[in-house]
Amino acid sequence: MLSRGFKIVQSKRFEIYIEDLEVSFGHAVVKIETAAICKADLRYYLGSRDERTLNLKYPINLIHEAIGTIVKDPTNSFKKGDKVALVPNIMIDSEKQDEFDIALSKNPRLGENYSPKALFASSSYNGFSRDYIAYPARNLVKIEKNIDSSIATFSELISVASAAIRRVILKENDVIGIWGDGILGYILCSVLKQVHKGHIIVIGHSKEKLEKYEGVQTYISKDPIIKKCKINVAFECIGGIASESGIEEILNSILPGAKLVLAGVAENPIKINTRKILEKGLALYGVTRSNVEDFKFAAELLKNSDFRFDISKLILDVTPIYEIKDYYRVFEVETESRALGKHIMNFKF
Amino acid sequence: MNIAIILAGGKGSRMGMVDQPKQFIDIYGKPIVVHTIEAFDIHEQIDAIAVVCLKEWHEDIKIWTRKYELNKIKWIVDGGETRQESVLNGLKAIEEDVNPEDIVVIHDAARPLISHKIIVNNIEGAKKYGAVDTVIKASDTIIQSIDDNTISSIPVRKELYIGQTPQSFVYSTIYDAHKSAASSQIQDSTDDCRLVLNSGKKVHLVDGDKLNFKITTMEDLLLLKSIIKMSKLERI
Repeated sequence: MLSRGFKIVQSKRFEIYIEDLEVSFGHAVVKIETAAICKADLRYYLGSRDERTLNLKYPINLIHEAIGTIVKDPTNSFKKGDKVALVPNIMIDSEKQDEFDIALSKNPRLGENYSPKALFASSSYNGFSRDYIAYPARNLVKIEKNIDSSIATFSELISVASAAIRRVILKENDVIGIWGDGILGYILCSVLKQVHKGHIIVIGHSKEKLEKYEGVQTYISKDPIIKKCKINVAFECIGGIASESGIEEILNSILPGAKLVLAGVAENPIKINTRKILEKGLALYGVTRSNVEDFKFAAELLKNSDFRFDISKLILDVTPIYEIKDYYRVFEVETESRALGKHIMNFKF
Repeated sequence: MNIAIILAGGKGSRMGMVDQPKQFIDIYGKPIVVHTIEAFDIHEQIDAIAVVCLKEWHEDIKIWTRKYELNKIKWIVDGGETRQESVLNGLKAIEEDVNPEDIVVIHDAARPLISHKIIVNNIEGAKKYGAVDTVIKASDTIIQSIDDNTISSIPVRKELYIGQTPQSFVYSTIYDAHKSAASSQIQDSTDDCRLVLNSGKKVHLVDGDKLNFKITTMEDLLLLKSIIKMSKLERI
């Protein structure tokens, strides 16, 4: 069947692509319903990566945060009409995996998503900005039908929060510090509120954004009280160049022997004070893309109405995408947006 | 219930080919008619499909139904001598299985680039108004010439639209219009909406798009092939 989508062909240029959709073995056909733009998509849109990398990627369908509906599933894993989240991180077939891949996938704190062979939608293969997609059924996770698709579109970010949390073993009385008042920080905080009984503290720069956080202690960065909070597990959700000063504050604020999970992506290398890490005997953990299990965890969390209420606050608006002009418009709006949340797209083309 | 009637009865004489009507031409390994049927087969609002085509192509449609796993084809109907007769054959074929208020979406097999949105517009429009026609605004100036030599008139462009398909109707509306046309000896209407207008009913407009063009000439075929770009990335 013919599928219609939008591919980025150079910075700030999308084109309509019509392609014949072939349904490979193990794949199901999904109609994309809602989608959201990630910072990585914006980097491709604005051309803010090095030219060589960009030229290797273009043309490509962007978008890796999406919810769809099953329209055809030869694998019989889903029923027609089932609502699903698409897991953008795709591991190679099990028969092609070597011992290293298998060991990774068996480690619950890491997982197959850490394999360099894993593909990622909108980066190493085409993403979800199209009407229909043929997708591996094992990379689809069912979402309860009554859950608003716009809220469920945050499944990918919820799964990333899940991936960050499972890097460490949390104890009930752990005091958790989240650095970063952006979307990932907010979602991580919302997830932790559901799974962690101890104190959660959020540290950010924007008073306005921090006001959106409910049920947790928030502080503006550099507040001297942060050092007295006895934080023993920290999550860095800042990313970009600002993560340098953020990590500096974390290293200075957390208790000796504490754990630090790094979840923000810095495009360029940043400086980290290793002396402080040594002095305090800190443990640093990296976190990358999430896997199917993280999405299943997200699908479970979304059944909880309190959690959905928290996530719904991130919906800045829902824009129907009837044609490529609407798609451009949302990319422009998202580029300019400094608000805490996302502009959800409802694919209607 | 929403039923698609796919008209694949044409002979394709304008293409110059003698062995194969245009809607059966292969595009990257699949006949045009199959691309068109797939758009309806996969659409969540379409419940069943009737394909109207010449008798000698019935077997091919049956083979493709299995090969391409087309699940919604319920009727394969003989085409008529004219478009009007083909549509009437389709309407008669589904008569026993439909209710008067069901929606029929009548579409040319030679328009494979029909979008999801156009089908939605048609179904919702037909439910609301009873009869709708898919159109796009005329972007070129339309010239009328009665003698095929000089300009008779230049109609005001902003009032002009280009008709496409689907044309969609409440079943009883279109069936009654066809029966009434047949009894009035009107046999070669190239447009179902005209028959509904003749019966005194209004036909509303729904938005089509330029890509929903009809493959009529070799140039159209070339255009279609260049539009369907082959995917460059590896399959997963």
